[in-house]
Amino acid sequence: MAGSTTKTVHDIFQSMEYGPTSSSTVTAQAWLDHHSRALGLFIDGKLVLPAGRQTCALADSKGGSVCSTVCATEDDVSQCVSSAVGGFKAWSGLSCHQRAKVLLRWVSVLGQHGQCVSEVCEVCQAPCSPSSLVRLAQYYASWAQLRDTLITDWTPLGVVAVVVSDDCSLYSLMLKVLPALAMGNSVVVLPGLSTTPPALLLAQLFTEAGLPAGALNILSGGAVSLGAKVAQNSNINYVTYSGNKQDGGMLCKATAGMGVPVSLSPCIGATCPFIIFESADIDSAVDGVIEAAFKKKKEIQWVLCVQESVCDSVVTRLRLRMTGMKCVALPSDGDRALVEAAVHEAQQQGATLIQPCAAPTSGSQYPPTVLCGMAPSSPCVVSPPPGPLLPLMSFRSNTEGVTLGNHSPHGQAASIWTEDLTLALEAAKSLSVGSVWVNSHSISDPSLPVSGHKDSGTCTDGGQEGLYQFLHPSSSSPALSRSSPASLDYAKFGPAAPPAVIPDGSHPASAPKSFLQFVGGKPCKSESGCSVAVQAPGGAGVLAYCPDGGRKDVRNAVEAAIKVQPGWMKKSPTARAQSLYSLAKGLEAKRRDMASSISAQTGLSLEEADKEVELSIARLSDWAARCDKAQGGAPPVPQSGSALSLPEALGVVGVVLPDNKPLLSMVTLLGATIAMGNAIVMVPSQKYPLPALAFIQVLQSSDLPGGLVNIISGSRDQLTVALANHNVIKAIWYWGSAEGCQYLQYTCTSPQKTLWLHCQEKEEGKEREATGWTQPHPSLLEEMWRNAIQWKSVWIPTA
Amino acid sequence: MSARNPGMNLDLEWVSKVRVNTQAVLKRAQQIQACKLPKKQWQAAWLLKAVTCIDLTTLAGDDTPSNVHRLCLKATQPVQYDLLKSMDMHNKGVTTGAVCVYPSRVADAAKSLKAANSCLPIASVATGFPAGQTPLKTRLEEVRMAVEDGATEIDIVINRKLALTGQWQAMYDEIRQFREACGDAHMKTILAIGELGTFTNVYKASLVSMMAGSDFIKTSTGKESVNATYPVAIVMVRAIRDYFLRTGHKVGFKPAGGIRTAKESLVWLTLMKEELGDEWLSPHLFRLGASSLLADIERQIFYYVTGQYAAYHDLPMA
Repeated sequence: MAGSTTKTVHDIFQSMEYGPTSSSTVTAQAWLDHHSRALGLFIDGKLVLPAGRQTCALADSKGGSVCSTVCATEDDVSQCVSSAVGGFKAWSGLSCHQRAKVLLRWVSVLGQHGQCVSEVCEVCQAPCSPSSLVRLAQYYASWAQLRDTLITDWTPLGVVAVVVSDDCSLYSLMLKVLPALAMGNSVVVLPGLSTTPPALLLAQLFTEAGLPAGALNILSGGAVSLGAKVAQNSNINYVTYSGNKQDGGMLCKATAGMGVPVSLSPCIGATCPFIIFESADIDSAVDGVIEAAFKKKKEIQWVLCVQESVCDSVVTRLRLRMTGMKCVALPSDGDRALVEAAVHEAQQQGATLIQPCAAPTSGSQYPPTVLCGMAPSSPCVVSPPPGPLLPLMSFRSNTEGVTLGNHSPHGQAASIWTEDLTLALEAAKSLSVGSVWVNSHSISDPSLPVSGHKDSGTCTDGGQEGLYQFLHPSSSSPALSRSSPASLDYAKFGPAAPPAVIPDGSHPASAPKSFLQFVGGKPCKSESGCSVAVQAPGGAGVLAYCPDGGRKDVRNAVEAAIKVQPGWMKKSPTARAQSLYSLAKGLEAKRRDMASSISAQTGLSLEEADKEVELSIARLSDWAARCDKAQGGAPPVPQSGSALSLPEALGVVGVVLPDNKPLLSMVTLLGATIAMGNAIVMVPSQKYPLPALAFIQVLQSSDLPGGLVNIISGSRDQLTVALANHNVIKAIWYWGSAEGCQYLQYTCTSPQKTLWLHCQEKEEGKEREATGWTQPHPSLLEEMWRNAIQWKSVWIPTA
Repeated sequence: MSARNPGMNLDLEWVSKVRVNTQAVLKRAQQIQACKLPKKQWQAAWLLKAVTCIDLTTLAGDDTPSNVHRLCLKATQPVQYDLLKSMDMHNKGVTTGAVCVYPSRVADAAKSLKAANSCLPIASVATGFPAGQTPLKTRLEEVRMAVEDGATEIDIVINRKLALTGQWQAMYDEIRQFREACGDAHMKTILAIGELGTFTNVYKASLVSMMAGSDFIKTSTGKESVNATYPVAIVMVRAIRDYFLRTGHKVGFKPAGGIRTAKESLVWLTLMKEELGDEWLSPHLFRLGASSLLADIERQIFYYVTGQYAAYHDLPMA
């Protein structure tokens, strides 16, 4: 600190500058030194440093070396997973109370070593306040305690892999680890480079807190590639990912076909609107912008949207408030060129800049910069460059502000500023994002469930809802079975020319009937005009012809669906319930027709078929009754003010229906989706399509808006491909082949679709699966409706 | 002092559009309080700066010429000479910003300061301090008399009734008259924020006071139950910023009441630096109304210089 001796009191008295800020990192250095600055893996409850591994070096903010971390090999992976299997036995064998006690002990151990944790985080440039970790742990300790009381009939998955990208924060990592542990799973964590040392330290603290060895393991070195290796191990039951979208997509592709479910919370790098309405407290909003937009490690790329009438006022204040701000270090040296190119390009398009100082001629520092006068089509809005850049756009009316905020593939979060309560709540409702912050930004709490909307995730984290990703209904086994990926040509999957249908001159009375499909509320032929033959049970010739639907039919159906879905979701739950009751009534009216259709298709006796129809009627009534039962609330949060948790429909759901109980399974899935406010595009079982097609007459006579329910028959694989490649479809529920599952896992990454996959090739499972439809355990139906919604949190802080 | 604020016509449209989000202001105040405070010589320098911004005040019923005299001499030599000397600050004119007394004591203060060869400004509270519940005529007369006796700064209190009932025009007119009565004396307008109800009202009252030509706006009299708090200060300095952006005139800010420790004075300086910039870190645009604060600052400086904690009797009393 050479400067401190040269500056006299008088100098400072004149300049009134801030003194040097330096914080001590003695404790962190001592911890690192204790481990000789070479950190390894955490297996079986202790730090191990396997010899002869490649290492990665971690540097601090000034480029100095912090420590090296080991890159785990396949041997390490298998050793780690087998430790986790043992850990799961020990950990899940404890009582809820014992698990809660361990988590609470961890809180007090964390309190003891808070200084060390925060210093290690700081040194590794993975900032995280111990108090936020304490809150997480306390919250999930209470869920550990109450799991068996409040979440009956669900059991832990087993070994869960938590994979995060290099840029993911320690908080987001622990937001996955703690609920997984609280539910009784054992966890294998694959932290990013900078989160490795803090994660190892936290794991050590877990050992001190009495966590059984093996319940928490850490493998370092290349999260995504290593993630695929870990997922390959057949003892892993679930892979969940947090971090940037690219790595998440790669992980999905790399694990496709392994038969392990993967979910993504791409919390890093989403573009989010920061909307300032004219009714806002402009000064506070500008303070918020400055705090949010120019962080060195920012998880969100903000785009500032300002109502035209206050745009000048915002710009003037930004200019004033930004004077004196210092340059921000760019994520990496190479980013400088990207930032400069983006600024240059924006200027060429007429952008004016607000900068506290000119950019230094070189180096990886750049001043905070607001690019005024941008438009949604500007490159820096479409694909934001790294660094402290903030594009500013203006809008005219309140409605346009929301439209502007929504017009993006991202659906992570939004910050809105207005003193008008009605406007705030209306905007919060209309924005399709996971978190809406009213007059605030970047607040979070584990008690609120949040799902990334649109392309921002396939997973709900937080709240009770976020726990279900780490549980499965006790009455069912996992829907996917472990397999090794088949060598699949993804480009060629699907389309297959159906056997040509030719006239065979049969008797008019016995000529097979031609069915129509159902698109946009109207029965119709397929776009191609082709049909496929449906075989009678036992292979006794052609039973009927059904349309051979394809890509264009799916496109038409989705277009019709997205038109009516928002209106359907806005309807009151009671109105939705009435529509479903009337659908059940309509089915009752056609009871005989439906029973004979089932019987003709599957070869069941009429009596048994009638039973299936009866169950279907009951199931629809069941869903009708549930319409108004999925409700959010206002969970108590530690921050002052209110937070709302709102369930919302996914949008358009594509369902490839199972062969089993063709009518009953169809109405069950149909009911679940539309009861929660979704629209649906269904592909009937390729083997038994007729009951679904016969059901069209029931749909036609119902008062469901046309286009809400669509049925497209034809080749399963071909239609799966069509569903997978339509970006409007947010979720696909699939019953089909292992290849189909693999195809969907591989393909549905950009934009991300929530997948609920079932491999129905196991013949021996048939019987059980059938009872799953006829006498489903309540937890199965619960799982279904939970899959049909996503969660939004709305934060309204008040004094 | 710097160029005075000439004021402007009352702009009620501007006043009506004011919106303040309470929680966002509270959060900003927390952020400022969480800022790291300067250490070592930075701290010493900042504390001396705080000293130069103090309006050293005595406003008691039992004020007599003798304690006013003590106060004036302390104001001219607020930090012990040897302490200043060891920091090489003894010849840099470190005095408090002003002394602040009741109108009846202005003459005493003027006499003491003249005798001590000091041209330190004398501030006087006026206009029925602290409640402002006296007739306008006597309030105006009070201002004139204080100025006549030698006060160069007048701290007026606004009529809370007018602010609370939204009679901004009437309040504007009153302050305008005070301003005229002040003549060349600078006018500091006390908003008595503890009695204004909401942040929005504080913001509006600040704007109206500045439009009417206040040179400073001041939080409170020190006699209300709520005095200078950081959130309310943020609201007021934002109004100052707003007024500056519109008119180009710089208005000063004076928190008063309950400021007792050296640490608090550092937070106040941080707040001004963060919100309004370095220009507002001088007695021209920033004052701290306080009486016991100086003693604590002097002790901190004593510690910085000597490495020892002073007893109160180690340092000269005010």
